[in-house]
Amino acid sequence: MSKPITLYSHGTGPNPWKVDLILRELNIPYETEWMDFADLKKEPFESKVSPNGRVPAIHDPNTNITLWESGAIIEYLVATYDKSAALTYTSSPEKYHVSQWLHFQMSGQGPYFGQAAWFWKFHQEQLPSAKERYFEQVKRVFYVLDKALKGKTWLVGDKCTIADLSFVTWDGMAAKMGIEKNYPDYYAWNQRLVARPSVQKMLKDKEAAMAAGH
Amino acid sequence: MTSHSRITQLSNQLTMASRPDIHLYTTQTPNGIKISITLEELGLPYKVTKIDISKNTQKEPWFLAINPNGRIPALTDTFSDGKSISLFESGSIQQYLVEQYDTDFKISYPKGTREYYDTNSWLFFLNAGVGPMQGQANHFNRYAPERIEYGVNRYINETRRLYGVLNTHLEKSTSGYLVGDKCTIADIAHWGWVAAAFWSGVDINEFPALKAWEEKMMARPGVEKGRHVPDRHTIKDLAKKSPEELKKHEEDSKAWILKGMAADAKK
Repeated sequence: MSKPITLYSHGTGPNPWKVDLILRELNIPYETEWMDFADLKKEPFESKVSPNGRVPAIHDPNTNITLWESGAIIEYLVATYDKSAALTYTSSPEKYHVSQWLHFQMSGQGPYFGQAAWFWKFHQEQLPSAKERYFEQVKRVFYVLDKALKGKTWLVGDKCTIADLSFVTWDGMAAKMGIEKNYPDYYAWNQRLVARPSVQKMLKDKEAAMAAGH
Repeated sequence: MTSHSRITQLSNQLTMASRPDIHLYTTQTPNGIKISITLEELGLPYKVTKIDISKNTQKEPWFLAINPNGRIPALTDTFSDGKSISLFESGSIQQYLVEQYDTDFKISYPKGTREYYDTNSWLFFLNAGVGPMQGQANHFNRYAPERIEYGVNRYINETRRLYGVLNTHLEKSTSGYLVGDKCTIADIAHWGWVAAAFWSGVDINEFPALKAWEEKMMARPGVEKGRHVPDRHTIKDLAKKSPEELKKHEEDSKAWILKGMAADAKK
């Protein structure tokens, strides 16, 4: 592999940073192209890169593939570049369980945490029943993960995989929700993830990117 | 042949003979019928257990052992090592089924091809985008304990935006399907949601290419057979019902959905 992958990213959103983290973990050369909200609607991004007009998306000049949706990109990266299966499994049923938790992150954690953040942090009008709804959904995700992690260090098998790593960028909001007391196994797992040097660096770079207005 | 290798061969045959041994745990929802349609399209035999959400069966310990998330669909099978495997998350189940059983690539593409990764993008687009957002539209439009116009509009508009993305993409498709020249698990994943557009407050006539795709999908024998699992698929018939009948359906659904939410909140 020689040429760097282009990662289309944004400072604030948690999803591009999921992909950023996997690129770091696997030591894959990449360049970040910062997209602001107006760029997402500009051609050729929407017609050639991401038909959904969202980030993350990648272009890999080594295979000449363009991909969007963070979960699909992560699966591509490990299939193409993780030859020693450092972040995944080639054995079954482990590889299917990695996929199962990645899908749970994509359809369960991301959308609901996103809606919770919207009604709690960004939306001007106070809508208690909507806030309550998404607060309950977020707690439910903690509950499911906490239970799944009882007596375990990582979600699948004995090592940290893309399934674990995919949750960490949305978890920033969890710190304020009393998770240490109510979801101790989830909390300990989150601490293990945050302690990884790659996660530390990613979080620092994310902060810097936001400060730089990306 | 040595007796040892004969035994190995026989045991392999026995293992082969017991696969597939698929058991689908499901109910009549857009996420549930994705799996029965996938199974029908692949022509695989499977057993079905209906999970009665109105009775909170999905929260019973035996089911949580299969799916710790307490949601449908879930699936068990005998794995290639002869042991049982449990899977949840509809997208992950679809990926498992085609990887294990779609050796002729009827509804998938070979791993590592461009089309394989494109299928994955659209599959995640449905599971992380259309499904959750249209689900929120259903909540605010049909089931919420109080009517919040902002919530109704927010999610109906986001669903319309996502349908617009699908419509634009399908306008350019020469096969009429999302990826390449055939129907894939990405199309199947979308169908149950798009077929239920009206229930979520979205007018499918705004999206002609998507509407044509929805009808083309429904004409497939596998879709027709798989959509009626575990009960008849009635959401499209509801569109023709009177406002009173619709209201009744809404109230019935609302009762068990709010009950389930209250049970979740106690944790």
